[in-house]
Amino acid sequence: MKSFIILLIAVIAINTNLFAAEAGMPQLDPKYWASQAFWLILTFTILYISISRFYLPKIKNNLDNRERKIKDDLDDANKFKELSDIKLKEYEKIIENTKKEIAKMYLDSKNKLSKDIQVKKDAMEKEIEGEIYKAQKEIIEVKKNSISSIKLISEEIAANIIENLSGDKLNTSSVKAVIEETSKQNLGKHL
Amino acid sequence: MTSNPMEQFTVYKIGPEINIAGINLSFTNSSLFMVISASIVLLFLFFGSKEKKIIPSKIQLIAEMSYTFVAKMISDTAGSKAKPYFPFIFSLFMFVLFCNMVGMMPYSFTVTSHIIVTLIMAIFIFIAVTIIGFIKHGFKYLSIFVPSGVPTVLLPLITIIEIISYLSRPVSLSVRLFANMMAGHTMLKVFGGFVVSLGILGGWLPLSFSVALTGLEILVAFLQAYVFAILTCIYLNDALNLHH
Repeated sequence: MKSFIILLIAVIAINTNLFAAEAGMPQLDPKYWASQAFWLILTFTILYISISRFYLPKIKNNLDNRERKIKDDLDDANKFKELSDIKLKEYEKIIENTKKEIAKMYLDSKNKLSKDIQVKKDAMEKEIEGEIYKAQKEIIEVKKNSISSIKLISEEIAANIIENLSGDKLNTSSVKAVIEETSKQNLGKHL
Repeated sequence: MTSNPMEQFTVYKIGPEINIAGINLSFTNSSLFMVISASIVLLFLFFGSKEKKIIPSKIQLIAEMSYTFVAKMISDTAGSKAKPYFPFIFSLFMFVLFCNMVGMMPYSFTVTSHIIVTLIMAIFIFIAVTIIGFIKHGFKYLSIFVPSGVPTVLLPLITIIEIISYLSRPVSLSVRLFANMMAGHTMLKVFGGFVVSLGILGGWLPLSFSVALTGLEILVAFLQAYVFAILTCIYLNDALNLHH
C-alpha cells in the first residue's frame, strides 16, 4: 500500500510535468471562447423557450389534474360516508320502530287472548253451573221418588212381617200411618 | 501512459468554419455536446409530459419528480415571489445536470468543464439578479451591502467586504462548477492512465479506484448541478426579499 502511494505520487508528478510542459489547460485557450458563448446562448435559449412554453405548463397541468382528482375523490368519499351515515341512522330508526310495533302487537294479542279466554271461561262456568243445578234438581227428584218408594216398600215389608208373625191381616191404613210416623222420624237421619 | 489528461478538454471544430463579423463561431465538439444535452432534456420532457395519466408511467413520474424537486427547491430558498423565475431555474438545472451527466460517458465532452461556459451562465445570472433587485427595490437594493446590527465602527469595513463578496459571486459560482468538473475528469483520466501503465499485474488497484471515482463523479455531477441551481435561488432570494 505504501509503495503504491509512493508510486502514485511519482506518476502524478510525471503527469503534471507532462501537461505543464505541453499546452496546459485547453480551457484557457481563447480561440473558441466566442463560439462556445454563442452556441451556449443559442442552445440554452431554445431549451429555455421550449421548456417554459411547452413542457412545464403540460407537467404542471398534469400535476394539478392529479391533485384535483385526488381532492374530488376524497370529497366524494366524504359525501358518500355522510350519506351512508344518514342511511344507517334511518335503518336504525326503522329497526327501533319495528321493535316497538312488535312489542305493541305482542301486548295487543296477549290482551285479546286473555279476554277471549276469560269470556270462554265465563261461558263454561255458566254452563257448568247450569249442569250442576240440573243435576241437583234431578237428585232431589230422585230423592223424593226414592222416599215414596221406600215408604211403599217398607209398608209392604212391615205388613208382610206382621202377617207372618201374627198371622193376621193388618189394616193397611194403620201400617201406613206407623210407617209414615217412623220415616218422618228416621228418614231425615239417613237422607 | 503518455496520454495527456487535459487532452479531453480540447475544443476542436466540426464542419466548416463559421465567421460572423470576424468572430469565429464555428460548430465545435463543445457545441455538439451542448446540443446533445439540450436535446436529451427536451426528449426526456417530451416523453415525460406526453401522457397525461392519473397514475404516471415511469418516465412521466421522473419528469414530474424533477418538476416538484426544482419547485420545492425554489419555494424553500426564495419563497413564492420567485415563481416567475421557475422555468429559468428549471432549465438551468436540467441543462447543467444533463451536460454533467453526458460528460460522464466515455469519449464524450463535458461542456461544463470549460470556464467560459460556466462563467457566461454565472455572469448572466449575476446581471439578471442585480437588475431584478434594482427593479423590485430601486436604490434601496444597495442596502444589501449594509447588514443590520453591525457596530458603526465596523460598518465601512463590512460594507466593503459585502461588496467584494457580492461582486465575486459570478466568479465563485462559475469556478465551483468548472473546477469540480475539470478536476473529476482529470482524476478519472489519470487513474485510467495508471491502469494502462501499471499493466495486468498492478493495474487492478487503480482500476478499482477508477470505478469508485466514477460513482463519485456521477454524484458530483448531480450535486454540482444542484448547487448551481440552489445558489441561483439564493441570489434570487436576496434580490426579491430584501431583509438584511
